[in-house]
Amino acid sequence: MKKKWKTILSVGVVLIGFCIAFVSVSRLFQPKYMTDLEEGSFISQYYREAGGHDVIFLGDCEVYANYSPMELYRDYGITAYIRGTPQQLVWMSYYVAEETFRYETPRVLVFNVNAMRYSEPVSEPYNRLTIDQMRWSSSKAGIILASATEEERFLSYVFPILRYHSRFDKLTREDFSYFFRVKDNTFNGFQLHTEVVPAGPLPAKRILSDYRFGDICYEYLDRLRLLCEENGTKLVLVKAPSLYPYWYEEYDGQIREYAAQYGLSYYNFAEQTEEIGLDFSEDTYDGGYHLNLSGAVKLSRYFGKILAKEHGLPDHRQDIEIAPAYNKKLQEYDKIVEERTR
Amino acid sequence: MITNTVILIAGLAVYAGYGISVVYLLSIILLSYLAGRLIPRHRFVMWISTALQVSFLVLLRVRHLLPYSSFIAPVGISYFTLQIIAYHADVYLGKYEPEKNIVKFALFVSWLPHIFIGPIEPYEKMRAALEKKQFGGDHFLKGAVRSLWGLFKKLVIAARLGVIVSAISADPERFDGAFALAAMLLYAVQLYADFSGGIDIVLGVSRMFGIRMSENFDAPYFSQSVSEFWRRWHITLGGFLREYVYIPLGGNRKGKLRKFLNTIATFLVSGIWHGGGYLLWGLMHGILVCFGDKCRTKSRICNRIVTFLLVSFLWSFFIWPDTAAVLQMAGSVFTVFNYNTLLAGLGGMGLTAGDWIVLGAACLLLFLYDWKSGVLKTKFCAFSLAAKVGVACLLALTVLVFGMYGIGFSVSEFVYSRF
Repeated sequence: MKKKWKTILSVGVVLIGFCIAFVSVSRLFQPKYMTDLEEGSFISQYYREAGGHDVIFLGDCEVYANYSPMELYRDYGITAYIRGTPQQLVWMSYYVAEETFRYETPRVLVFNVNAMRYSEPVSEPYNRLTIDQMRWSSSKAGIILASATEEERFLSYVFPILRYHSRFDKLTREDFSYFFRVKDNTFNGFQLHTEVVPAGPLPAKRILSDYRFGDICYEYLDRLRLLCEENGTKLVLVKAPSLYPYWYEEYDGQIREYAAQYGLSYYNFAEQTEEIGLDFSEDTYDGGYHLNLSGAVKLSRYFGKILAKEHGLPDHRQDIEIAPAYNKKLQEYDKIVEERTR
Repeated sequence: MITNTVILIAGLAVYAGYGISVVYLLSIILLSYLAGRLIPRHRFVMWISTALQVSFLVLLRVRHLLPYSSFIAPVGISYFTLQIIAYHADVYLGKYEPEKNIVKFALFVSWLPHIFIGPIEPYEKMRAALEKKQFGGDHFLKGAVRSLWGLFKKLVIAARLGVIVSAISADPERFDGAFALAAMLLYAVQLYADFSGGIDIVLGVSRMFGIRMSENFDAPYFSQSVSEFWRRWHITLGGFLREYVYIPLGGNRKGKLRKFLNTIATFLVSGIWHGGGYLLWGLMHGILVCFGDKCRTKSRICNRIVTFLLVSFLWSFFIWPDTAAVLQMAGSVFTVFNYNTLLAGLGGMGLTAGDWIVLGAACLLLFLYDWKSGVLKTKFCAFSLAAKVGVACLLALTVLVFGMYGIGFSVSEFVYSRF
């Protein structure tokens, strides 16, 4: 009897050891996205700051590069967080929103409509940048099932080692340093770029055979709208002022029609660059595709005014529960900005 | 009975994933079962059945006989056809009574793990294995370790070697001479790791279900002659050919010339079984089997190296698409002197430095295992349960980390499942 228990115990110890080794290896091999493709870590940084935001931004690079929540707070006392990720498609935004509502209920959810032009998953690496570091929930399962390309397997998200095992000879110090926790490299989801690369000649505007958004995009936009309604959150549609890829008039027309049909606000900032004060010879870091810090400051001031006036968002700058933390963060933000613009 | 039925249905359901093949398989099971029952009273049925099965096999397997034959050939046809032919021949010869239980017969033909790459199991053995299933924790664990070892061979060794061999064979004009030689040697290891790895998985999974199947390999590259190689490589195919081709032709009982001709004929059949484009390959193996023993030296190591080189050279027929290309590449080994560029060339074929290190270490492990497999198996059996579980966990982790799988790799494809 004693021998039997000894055997069970020793097998148990071996199996526990295997599980620990398996989880550790999985964690070690998963990219930390700290120096290369840092956008891959954006999604996970939210969990440390979840809760208490009046505005949540959803969308692709056109949100995390173009709007600065710190400026929104500085000028209007608006608390905002950007849950944007590279090539975040409409169904991804829906599931990220669904997950966000588990943590908080913002007053306004801003959705950048650029993703409406894509009705199919773009590529596995892009999916990874959004999904890999999401916490497990039905939303993560949903986003995987909705986004996976033909070559992707659900199991490889459950066990990342199945995807990243080939990194065994590419591990760097970063993989060990950030084994337990990745560091923050955004300010409430805003990716700070201070470089200036003026807009130059852009690719020719192609004539498309079909400008209609895919049914699946409308399906998820509907679901996003209904989700916001259920939670009493106002859905606001925006189009960032990027020069490229072109936001065709036909695209714009469809969004205007949708917004009018459901009584949503829609702001196409690509048409308001003069009012915003954008100068693409100095306000972009990549030739007009995305705004740099100076462009983001201008756009945030402009949009902040709209959010405060038209959507009645409160000013938290005198709120003793919120202001100290935000003021501290603002100081860090200003310090980094100063360092980078010196 | 219930267990067999469940296993059969589950296997057929998985096989149905290969499309129309399942219709052929079910039809052949039913017809072969009925033919088997008829053979004791109507002996000509054996000849008709065998002729039909061989015709189908040749039509579907020999290149260019039927358009799109490689697409319409049912998966595993080469394996289950031989099993059925052997079964009918044995019933005809009165070795045993035909099977009355159609579930057992269907399971014998379509036992899923082995339908794709063998082993080609004689009916008596399969029936005995099905009737005396050996369930239990120890069997399950040993089966799991065997399967993991097979996965290690396939995913850690064969998959990496496949990258190199494919790169070389895809561009014969650029990669000849030293690269052709490297392809032959590496392919020999790749094919062994892939095929024997697949068989390890089959035997391991079968054992996990309590079914013991025949071994198909016995460290073949340690053979000292080509004839010995064929006693240690694809053992069940060799057994089939000996039993149902070589011996019926007269074997070695009718003089040296007949023995020579029978051996050649047997290897020609083997060539046809591999796909018809391999007749010359079969012929050369036949000749080497007949005369190879006469060229043995006193040095075991020397014999092994020569045998390995000969067998590797003949695997060329499986690397390049046609005989002309094979002869051209083989000739280039002696006429194109680009050996100084070999290392740099191999380095740029898609494997990282880490991959090469893993490959080298894994090949060394495979070599040591084959060399001392008897001792290692005995030691493993003497391990405590926790140590056995530890070995399984270690193997699993090694395969997970160092295996080549995922996007861009097809884990379920085995080189020998083409045959």
